Amino acid sequence: MILVQVIVGGLLLGAVYALFSSGLTLIWGMMNFINFAHGEFVMIGMYLAYLVAVAFHGGPLAFSLAAAAGLFVLGAALYFGLIRAVMRGPMLAQILSTFGLALLLRYAAFWIFSPNVVTLPHSYLSGMINLHGILIRESQLVVGAAAAALTIGMHLLLTRTAIGSQLLAVAEDRNAAMLMGIRPDRMQALAWGLSAASAGIAGALMAISFPFSPEVGGTFALIAFVVVTLGGFGSVPGALLAGLMVGLIQALSAYYFGPIYKDIIVYGLFVALLWFRPQGLLGKA
Amino acid sequence: MRRGTVALAAALLLYPWLVSGTGSSAFLQDMGANVLLAALGAAAWNIVGGYAGQISVGHAMFFGAGAYLPLLFFHHWQLPPILGVPAGIAVSLVIAVLIGFPTLRLLGHYFSMATIAVAELLRIIVSNWDLAGAAIGVQGPAISRGWWDLIFRSAVPYYYIFLAVLALLLFVTWQMQRSRIGYYLRSIRSGERAARSLGVPVRRYKLYALMLSATFTSLAGSLYALKTGFIDPESGLGILVSVQLVITAALGGAGTLFGPLLGAVILVPLQTATNTWFGGGGTGLTYIIYGGIIVLIARFEPGGLLELWHRHISSRFNKRAEARDAA
Amino acid sequence: MLLSAENVSKSFGSFKAVAGADLQVAQGEIVGLIGPNGAGKSTFFNCIAGDFAPSGGRISFDGHDVTDAPAEAHARLGIGRTFQIPATFEDMTILENVMVGAFLRHARRGEARDRALEVIEMTGLKELAGQPARNLGTPGRKRLEIARVLATNPRLLLLDEALAGLTPTEVQRAIELVRSIHQSGVTIVIVEHIMEVILNLAQRVIVFNQGRIIAQGKPQDVVNEEAVIEAYLGRGHGRKAAH
Repeated sequence: MILVQVIVGGLLLGAVYALFSSGLTLIWGMMNFINFAHGEFVMIGMYLAYLVAVAFHGGPLAFSLAAAAGLFVLGAALYFGLIRAVMRGPMLAQILSTFGLALLLRYAAFWIFSPNVVTLPHSYLSGMINLHGILIRESQLVVGAAAAALTIGMHLLLTRTAIGSQLLAVAEDRNAAMLMGIRPDRMQALAWGLSAASAGIAGALMAISFPFSPEVGGTFALIAFVVVTLGGFGSVPGALLAGLMVGLIQALSAYYFGPIYKDIIVYGLFVALLWFRPQGLLGKA
Repeated sequence: MRRGTVALAAALLLYPWLVSGTGSSAFLQDMGANVLLAALGAAAWNIVGGYAGQISVGHAMFFGAGAYLPLLFFHHWQLPPILGVPAGIAVSLVIAVLIGFPTLRLLGHYFSMATIAVAELLRIIVSNWDLAGAAIGVQGPAISRGWWDLIFRSAVPYYYIFLAVLALLLFVTWQMQRSRIGYYLRSIRSGERAARSLGVPVRRYKLYALMLSATFTSLAGSLYALKTGFIDPESGLGILVSVQLVITAALGGAGTLFGPLLGAVILVPLQTATNTWFGGGGTGLTYIIYGGIIVLIARFEPGGLLELWHRHISSRFNKRAEARDAA
Repeated sequence: MLLSAENVSKSFGSFKAVAGADLQVAQGEIVGLIGPNGAGKSTFFNCIAGDFAPSGGRISFDGHDVTDAPAEAHARLGIGRTFQIPATFEDMTILENVMVGAFLRHARRGEARDRALEVIEMTGLKELAGQPARNLGTPGRKRLEIARVLATNPRLLLLDEALAGLTPTEVQRAIELVRSIHQSGVTIVIVEHIMEVILNLAQRVIVFNQGRIIAQGKPQDVVNEEAVIEAYLGRGHGRKAAH
């Protein structure tokens, strides 16, 4: 029974991994660009949740929306202020731009919030649910379900809506998209906003159940790298599948081998992926 | 250029003596040694990150290997730490191939992501491995048993050892720059597809650059361990070590010979200053500044300060030449 | 036969860019490859150059099977190519660019430099040798690309629209350059849109349309063929123009 609980817990957390990773893979697929500050976006989402909870006594819905809105603006602003300029430059500039940003955001958070680990002031959704003998916390279930729904929603947005097809058109062929009257700049800024927002919401959701500090961004970034590589270049459905798998593997590793192994095995998996299947589960060789 | 280099060499050779008369000579000599060590690590990173254009943001893994092995040799077997230096290099080369072989044939981002992941993986493993000192770290010899332990009370002998190794590295880099491998690496950085079409064995050369870089970074780590006599997961394998290596090279000028030294001369005193002025909170501020500097370099001048200098100085020379011709 | 491409096809996903193309090039020829945009000629060209591995068929050069060989191997065997959009090494000087090419055949710096200077002289870039490549305009870049690949001593030179975007005077100079390269013994395959160039340079012309070769022959003959005119101008025009 405990094993089943561990599995369910892992999958539910995996859904959250899928959510923020889908943002990373969107940018990667669209612009061939890896955002090394993506983990910090998640961290900022967590702290925005904290601020809304503490200063405005908001509940999960309030701080999720706040995180989404705040990060959306940040993502779009970053595109116009930094990313657009470095895209045309050498690889050094592209990689250092978000790497430096990650450092800046992380240590600014240390400065503003202190290095201490914090939790939200109240426990939200603290009830226990009993599904056929499996005990899950209400917060785990709601967060996992919400994350999965949002990830699927992202996929539907990209594939079923007009704006989604415009985003994909820019990803496919920027010049052709321009000829069709689509503004690539706007679409790319939109993509950055969506990407950051997905990270922000994921952070806000995780803040409900987990304590956090300014340094969590590093771990989330690495998880996102693994999920995105496993799921395949630019694939949101791939990120969903891979996120669930990574959550599951983490939970099982912690259960069988001990808590420190949950990261070791995931990072080890990443190295193995790079050797044997860098295109991921769903990609072509 | 020649005269400048000779002047620079003279200044570097005489520095410890030049500051020996001042009130804070010990402090300044120590800082001098630290500047050289930072320059050494950055110059090593520069080979793969600057010349070959493969951006590693996890170079701490090589530094850490070089720092840990010598101290472990002492800790477990009471051997002089210096005997562990080749072991550190060997481990670093294995890591380099482990990461480089699969990723250097893929897009650059995979390599960068892999460097962060492996550095962090190693940090977690070492933090939890008692034989490697776990979170507590590993100590070197407390007292000198002979000259071979390389324990000096003054920073000056370290200064000259570091200077010698730095000079060697810069010489190797200079030779590389002028030879086929240097041209090939720059072509890879400028345009892989075109380089391939000219017969450049891209993957192989990237790997060579990484291995050379790993060797010298490991050496820098070993020298650090010899001087400070202590290493732990944060100071050896932490992300901030990787950051230091990258920013020092990039600020001065990635892909240039003296960029790393320039970066070190600016950043080491800067870091010492912010740490002193802001006390405990200083470290946080230092890294906010570092982050800002890196973003500014990326956004406005990826070639670093030397590139900035060349553009402005050479444009002034050209204007003067034009004025002369017109007159 | 210096170059032999048999039944080469290349698909990207479900899109068949090249469907069963055959090409034989003998030593010393100048062959032109023409066809409307999207006809597959560039893809075929890139297969010969080693940038893509074909989905089907065989390519052999000088007796070696190069079907699955990477671009580096093609270069080492003696196939050189230029790019449609010039891919010069921007932060290196013109001399350094050409030296990268020369290093393929000369391991030492001094020899590579000498060879590079030789080629720079031959291609008329001598005055600009110390300038960074990014200072050049498009015609200069195209010339530099040619110089750079010449330094690798190719036996077969693949020119990808090397004359596009040049003024009429520049086109004349470029034609002269290509002729002199050909006279020095290099076999040339040239992809081109400008009819004047093809008619002037090519001994034999291959016409691509929709992934297939639809015509081959002497330039003057090929341009009058019904199928070729239709490919460019659409159905119905062929019959009118040919008669």
